[in-house]
Amino acid sequence: MAIILDKVNYSYSVGTAYEKHALKDVSLVLNDGEFIGIIGHTGSGKSTLIQHLNGLERATSGTIYYNGRDIYDTDFKMKELRGKVGLVFQYPEHQLFETTVLEDVKFGPKNQGLPPLEVDLRAYEALKQVGMPEELYDASPFELSGGQKRRAAIAGVLAMKPEVLILDEPTAGLDPRGRDEILDQIAALHKEQGITVILVSHSMEDVANYVGRIIVMNHGQVALDGMPKEVFSHYRELESMGLSAPQVTYVMNGLRQAGYPVETSATTVEEAKEEILRVLGQGRE
Amino acid sequence: MIRDITIGQYYPAASVIHKLDPRVKLLGTLVFIISLFLFSSFSGYVVAAVFLFGTIRLSRVPLKFILKGLKAVFILLLFTVIFNIFLTKGTPLVTIGPLAITWEGIRTAVFMAIRLVFLILGSSLMTLTTTPNQLTDGMEKGLAILKPLHVPVHEIAMIMSIALRFIPILLEETDKIMKAQSARGADFESGNMIQKAKSLIPILVPLFVSAFRRANDLAMAMEARCYHGGDGRTKMKPLRYEKRDYTAYFLLLLYLGILLAVNLLVRYFVADTQITFLSALPATIMMREGF
Repeated sequence: MAIILDKVNYSYSVGTAYEKHALKDVSLVLNDGEFIGIIGHTGSGKSTLIQHLNGLERATSGTIYYNGRDIYDTDFKMKELRGKVGLVFQYPEHQLFETTVLEDVKFGPKNQGLPPLEVDLRAYEALKQVGMPEELYDASPFELSGGQKRRAAIAGVLAMKPEVLILDEPTAGLDPRGRDEILDQIAALHKEQGITVILVSHSMEDVANYVGRIIVMNHGQVALDGMPKEVFSHYRELESMGLSAPQVTYVMNGLRQAGYPVETSATTVEEAKEEILRVLGQGRE
Repeated sequence: MIRDITIGQYYPAASVIHKLDPRVKLLGTLVFIISLFLFSSFSGYVVAAVFLFGTIRLSRVPLKFILKGLKAVFILLLFTVIFNIFLTKGTPLVTIGPLAITWEGIRTAVFMAIRLVFLILGSSLMTLTTTPNQLTDGMEKGLAILKPLHVPVHEIAMIMSIALRFIPILLEETDKIMKAQSARGADFESGNMIQKAKSLIPILVPLFVSAFRRANDLAMAMEARCYHGGDGRTKMKPLRYEKRDYTAYFLLLLYLGILLAVNLLVRYFVADTQITFLSALPATIMMREGF
């Protein structure tokens, strides 16, 4: 099953100076088990798009189907959808409010109406998944470091056991190590639990290293959609949208122009290394 | 949703009203608000309405946009009207049990509602056409006369402008936090009063935390730029009155004059009637003149 968007349009502040057509005819199929990266410039509509997926924003026109059911149907339970499509906002640590980390993580499953024991279990499990040190479970969430706060907040959404996990810029404001740790944990979740993960980011490197499919948003429309290799081969177009391809793409293209017969499709440093070695090896023979 | 609240927002447009000196607008708004309570006749409202809607027209802010600001005070307005209708003593028109709707009640209710609406429209027109920076400047310069009395005019103006600036920021923040908590299954609508109040905790705590964080950041940023209050501070764009500002003052005086004149006339000619419609004027004049 999947999330299907059919010609979704969204405008806000209609009839004022601030009116904006944030989404234009967006049609997408997001399959189960995919690891998708959504990239786009600030104001390209990527945050608005993901808020439609769990019904926080309502499309001005168009339809969204979750597992084959129209989420705008009157008898569709929006609250249930929010448990199934977990959305981690940008700077999620700004939503922490409880007295302890554990209590805060329990907020989601409690709202789902689960029995207390199940709530506890899920909270512990979620905190373990994000790698929160156990001695901090009973600490005040406001005493944690930036990276730990973010983990606590992500755990708060994971504890609802979503089938689809959406993260809006989960690495914003983190140092390189914190960034890698969080992204690795998300990748592990995708691998072990098989949940669909949608990662919103403007960092090509982040996205290229982890995802299997990239959707590029520009001016509220889907500009490109495909495997990282395909998307990054359009690096000129990406630049015209105020984005860029990963640095290795530029290196490979530069090498090719300099006369080395390398394939330019490498998206990670690892792939690039192998490709360069392959070509150099051929030369030596 | 939350971004529809227009109080305290700035609406960019190229109009005479936008270009006016903020002191003119501040004083004008104050005079307009006071003027709303100076009269009690229908004709006074007509004069005020002409003045208000003329100014709105000049400001090029769409009327629809300004009217949206009324949504926020709709409940207050409703209560005022209901209380006035039922609780004013006078000749009853309709009696429902112990409650009576009186002619005076309806009159007071309608006038009170118009007054409130005008008051809100007038003041939101000021904030819509004046940036917070201009407002501070205007306030500071306008209140400079209090400086010899050791009133910290600059600091007060600064605090007010920061408060004004923070309204839209905090609204946006509230919107974001509400969404984030809804994404975790929070429910703000159902349940009784106590449950509803409790459901606000997940919004209020993060909101306060973020307000303090922002205040801290702002204070730090100001200190980093050597801010130390008003002493010896100069302005990049000092306020100076232009021709249009004097014209505006003149128009303001004219408005006040007309209002007072109309009010006096009405009081003189129709002192004893309850219905003080403008249309009653010519008839009354004719009667007094003995036609």
